[in-house]
Amino acid sequence: MKRRTFLAAAGLALIPATSWAHGPTRQKVTLTTEVAASPEEVWEMIGNFQDMSWHPAVFATNGEGSNEIDATRILTLGQEGGPTITEILYKYSAEKMSYSYRITEVAVEVLPVTNYSSHLTVKTRDGGGSIIEWRGAFYRGYPNNDPPEELNDEAAIAAVTAVYQAGLEALAERFGAAGS
Amino acid sequence: MRRAHKVVVVLAILLPAPAAGDIAYITCQNGEELSLIDLASAREIDRWHLPGKPAGIAAGGDALFTVSPGSKMVRRLSRGGGVFAEVTLEGGPTGVALDAARGRLFVSDWYNARLWVLDSDTLATVMELPTGPSPAGIALSEDGRFLASAEKDADQVSVFDAASLEPLRRITVGTRPFGLRFAPTGLLFVGNVGSNDVSVLDVATGKTRATIPVGERPYGVAFAGARAFVTDQYANTVSVIDLETLTRETTIDVGEYPEGIDVTPDGQSVVVANWFDNTVSVIDPNGLTVLNTIETCDGPRAFGRFVLGGGHQ
Repeated sequence: MKRRTFLAAAGLALIPATSWAHGPTRQKVTLTTEVAASPEEVWEMIGNFQDMSWHPAVFATNGEGSNEIDATRILTLGQEGGPTITEILYKYSAEKMSYSYRITEVAVEVLPVTNYSSHLTVKTRDGGGSIIEWRGAFYRGYPNNDPPEELNDEAAIAAVTAVYQAGLEALAERFGAAGS
Repeated sequence: MRRAHKVVVVLAILLPAPAAGDIAYITCQNGEELSLIDLASAREIDRWHLPGKPAGIAAGGDALFTVSPGSKMVRRLSRGGGVFAEVTLEGGPTGVALDAARGRLFVSDWYNARLWVLDSDTLATVMELPTGPSPAGIALSEDGRFLASAEKDADQVSVFDAASLEPLRRITVGTRPFGLRFAPTGLLFVGNVGSNDVSVLDVATGKTRATIPVGERPYGVAFAGARAFVTDQYANTVSVIDLETLTRETTIDVGEYPEGIDVTPDGQSVVVANWFDNTVSVIDPNGLTVLNTIETCDGPRAFGRFVLGGGHQ
């Protein structure tokens, strides 16, 4: 393990300073969960860009700009003083119960992605309840050719999938599974 | 990759005369497939396995040139799906453009600030042209005089004499240019993903004629009639630009993450690949409406010229 960490650090030193560089293949992840609560009830919980306390990994949300376009938030993960992710809101519709945001700053050691954008949407489920959909588009953490294992396409997909899964599972627990 | 042949032939016989037609060849990067969309019947007629995360494409003459950055492979395919030639290019092959008249294929190297010049028949490297950092889209002017490449990390476009391959000039554009194409008028349209605008350049003089605000993250440009059509990746729209006034006329809603955009030879259909939705939108460039939305393979990029007219061979 030690050796791999060292190799990764050596590789990281080669990344050009520009944060806009990215790998050759954009990845996408879509996860959904179905819950018993109404879309209005779910949106009430998750529709505020300035409050991501519904996600178990998020310790604190600090931001400005409410739910206006270009609003920002800094998510602190895990605990006080934990790693942070800075995000910006670029689309918001209470009517459609959907918002879209981008990550403007994150260390690849925290989330091994670059150029990340995401949408969170609540839809009406046929037969009652809601469908919560979370989708993201992003490049791997390593912008150059031949990425180290922990910064390759697969690592990026696995990390984003884990974030979405944890969030959606917490919502399913809170709002109950949708009936059939 | 050869199984498509029969299907194409059968359709060509069965379809009515005006439909003997135009095919959009859509590179699907995530699904590693090439999707064949028959534009007359508005449906997908086949998919070919195309490994290595393909994105770039140049359809021209009777061939398709594809670039798979994942495996660093450039291929020349027949319209029936046969592989005529393939070559591995060490670096980051990304954008591709064909100069059919001179038998040259240009491929940008995202990682090494150069264009490869390949023999379009054998795909052997003939020479290399230095560019600014992170060259992406490449375009050839319709009259065959100029070759241009968008250099994302230099905020510039390099212009070459397409005949002699001598560098002519470098023109500063907006922030992080990626896709570009020459209009029938000869002006070069460059999408700047960082500044959300399109630079309109006169490459002969190096002058910027206009900088046109469009939707977020402009990616690709195509032309039909007296208009330019620009895909706005983050806005899920196509911006419509009037070629006379060089201003944005309107936007058209398409699918999520629109990327590659091209036009049929008759100028009557503009075709857009929606990367997130796995669909293709077909736009009427006169009525400015979406005529059809067609399912395709996973992660369509179609970065380059991807429509070939049919029935004239």
